[in-house]
Amino acid sequence: MLNRLTILKSFLWASVGVLAAVSMVRFTRGLGAVTNLSDVSPWGLWIGFDVMAGVALAAGGFVMAATVYIFGLEKYRSCVRPAILTALLGYFAVAVGLLYDLGLPWNIWHPMIYWQHHSVLFEVAVCVMLYLTVLSLEFAPVVLEHPLFGRPIFQRFLKFLRKITIPLVIAGIVLSTLHQSSLGSLFLISPARLHPLWYSSIIYIFYFISAIGLGLMMVVLEGLLTSWFFDHKVRKDLLPGMGIAASVVLWFYVILRLGDLTLRGDLGLAFDGSWQSFLFFFELGMAAILPATLLLFRRVRSSITGMAICAGLTILGMIGYRLDMSIVAFARPEGWGYFPSWAEIAVSVGIVSCCILVFIFFVEHLKVYDEPAHVKPGKPSHDAATLHDLMPSEQASPRRYSLVALMAAVAALFFLPVSGAEPVRTPVSTPRMVEGFSVARQAGDFHALEMCEPGDRPLSAESPIPLFAINGNRNETLVLFNHAGHVDREGGDDSCRLCHHLDLPYDLNSACFECHRDMYEPVSLFDHTLHVQKLNGNDGCTECHPDGREVKDSETSTACVECHLNPEATSVIIKRPDPRWQDAPGYMDAMHDLCVTCHKRRAREEPGRFADLLERCDACHDADYGPMLEEMAPVRNTSRLIVQNGDGH
Amino acid sequence: MTIDVLLQWLRGPVFWAGLAFLVLGLGRHVAITLWGIVRTWNRAGDKTIPVRQVVRASLGWMFLTQGLKNRLLFGLNTLIFHIAVILVPIFLAGHIALWKQSLGFGWPALPNGLSTALTIIAVIAAVTIVIQRIVFKASRKLSRFQDFAMPLIVAIPFATGFLVMHPAWNPFSHQFMLFLHVMSGDLLLFLIPLTKISHMVLLPGTQIISELAWHFPPESGRRVGEALGKANEPI
Repeated sequence: MLNRLTILKSFLWASVGVLAAVSMVRFTRGLGAVTNLSDVSPWGLWIGFDVMAGVALAAGGFVMAATVYIFGLEKYRSCVRPAILTALLGYFAVAVGLLYDLGLPWNIWHPMIYWQHHSVLFEVAVCVMLYLTVLSLEFAPVVLEHPLFGRPIFQRFLKFLRKITIPLVIAGIVLSTLHQSSLGSLFLISPARLHPLWYSSIIYIFYFISAIGLGLMMVVLEGLLTSWFFDHKVRKDLLPGMGIAASVVLWFYVILRLGDLTLRGDLGLAFDGSWQSFLFFFELGMAAILPATLLLFRRVRSSITGMAICAGLTILGMIGYRLDMSIVAFARPEGWGYFPSWAEIAVSVGIVSCCILVFIFFVEHLKVYDEPAHVKPGKPSHDAATLHDLMPSEQASPRRYSLVALMAAVAALFFLPVSGAEPVRTPVSTPRMVEGFSVARQAGDFHALEMCEPGDRPLSAESPIPLFAINGNRNETLVLFNHAGHVDREGGDDSCRLCHHLDLPYDLNSACFECHRDMYEPVSLFDHTLHVQKLNGNDGCTECHPDGREVKDSETSTACVECHLNPEATSVIIKRPDPRWQDAPGYMDAMHDLCVTCHKRRAREEPGRFADLLERCDACHDADYGPMLEEMAPVRNTSRLIVQNGDGH
Repeated sequence: MTIDVLLQWLRGPVFWAGLAFLVLGLGRHVAITLWGIVRTWNRAGDKTIPVRQVVRASLGWMFLTQGLKNRLLFGLNTLIFHIAVILVPIFLAGHIALWKQSLGFGWPALPNGLSTALTIIAVIAAVTIVIQRIVFKASRKLSRFQDFAMPLIVAIPFATGFLVMHPAWNPFSHQFMLFLHVMSGDLLLFLIPLTKISHMVLLPGTQIISELAWHFPPESGRRVGEALGKANEPI
């Protein structure tokens, strides 16, 4: 039972299992949870491999159809069906890969309705959609030949499809020519970011020519692999012809690329010793120069090993060409490199595995190849140790493959962030002290703060005052805060409790950052392990969980304030914390909550004194940032803040 | 790595992977069994199935009336064990609180006193089941390794759960006992589809399967011999 095909299928099903697990997380938790994509690298492996390389790998379909139906080389007819099946599956893979990559995958139908006819991407989308339809119709006869579709209605459709074969083939060639080249044209928009060894104003010609060579080699390799896995006879008579054709196309591609570089005067870059120059020759050599040279020898062309090696080189090299264009040679800011996450690789491998499984299914059940796929019936061996051998393969296989896929999916789940990406922690640092001035603004009593610049001091008449520079995440924008001024205005030492609303144990007027420890994320204040230690392990449980019959959660536990005596402010501006202290909100939210709430109240109480200045963003933030802050400020439900303070509207 | 990090891991990714394995693995068993039943029925020589009899037998085995008739004490012990093992993990107030935290909804819980009683019963019943299996010769001869091992493995999360809930009885630290509890629970999630505990979904099908086995055509035995290349030898 354990032959080549079973091992291959087991591996493929395992990849499909991993794909299923990753898909679940990707579509419920988003791109950020599973990929290394970012705003700087929005195009990663899924575009570079699944879409760019996927379309090119499927080029065999139109190349073989043209060879047989247009150029009339009947000898190659046996290659048409597998080539069209590969193309069909390849394009499905492209569409599915795109679904994974789109941030809003449910909008994939938009190009059908919203036409943007200036966009290359629109042309690609429409061509791919139409070509997928054409390929389905081209392949449909193979399915309809199956006895399952013996009904007259299917047979009439089959007859119709056979009649329109030539128009379909022509449509396929036209559509392929259009979008194989336009995939290259996509890069015309970024001359500054693509390295000059890859950027050219005729990228679309490179893409088209390379796709033809790649398509030919793909047909060769998949033919060889199928015969290896299914014990078919290799059609050795077809190999030399395809070899020489591929050689010519690949040489043409090499001459075009080097010629283009020479004409643009950038050929020197290929020899300047940079990593890009090595990559360029490695990729071009593997994809074209080496196989095209080897294929010139008759002995290589007519040997199975030789053709397999040449085809493998071209395929890997051309995939490399697509990846170089969309990832490697695409410039990014320093420190913003991109390498695909394992989940991205798993999705690409999984989609390809799905395609191969469907390919195998069609080969086994339909007449894709002339030679029938003979699955050996095989006598069941009677061996008590291997009970499964007694099972006929059609019963043993589903058991084996479903178990393999399930195990792989569950193993993948271990390493996936099932509950979404972990929030990025931004620890908050303490405010620093600087010297500055309080400067009167045009209206009323409102004063703005300014930091001392070097050289200010001798010029200024008044002496500078100490100011807090509040800058929790130490970025370039900070808020100046006149702590002493606030103490004076709000009533001296009695006013501390207006803002310092909660104290750490053995501390008085704890600073904001001591509890609001993260810039954006809420932070838990409670440390269960620490309390267990301080309360003598298991003996201390009843201190906080007095009733053993209750569920032990925060709601049923003793309130924090019952042990931590009087750390709470009574006349605080904002809402008093719950007696069981829950998570402390992020630093930014906490500061806005406190400052903005009070400023709004003061402005409402004394409208004449501050005009509307006190309520504005630039009351605290640098005025230069004012308009920007207002635009970028997250929508805050201000009514909620006021109601919380019992002021009403 | 502190035990807290390990606990976090066991309660997060490991639990979700285990739950997925449990649900999908049992689903796989059901699908394969159903498919096998249909396949066997298609090939059966005599397609008249005594439905009423099969349903009665299935229900009899599922609700243990059959077992009680055969051996009362063994049957009762098993019955109590099953009730405790099914009710406590699903309807324990503490577990429901955890579900509420992650799913956002919960369901009515058993009173904690009853849960505690059932937990102790589950542990005692698991041990006595194994003892009974060893004592009675017939069941001893029929048992495989997992028949002895599984009741004890099932008892671990119950015993550790009791100690987590009752710190005064717990000789080890709370964190360590919680770790053992969560780990043994997670382990069970993975073991269920791979061991005899998968009878939780397969039991309703066993009676129809053994019924169908009697419906093969009379000469099918000879065909097995032919397929094995032993046509003329006695089977």
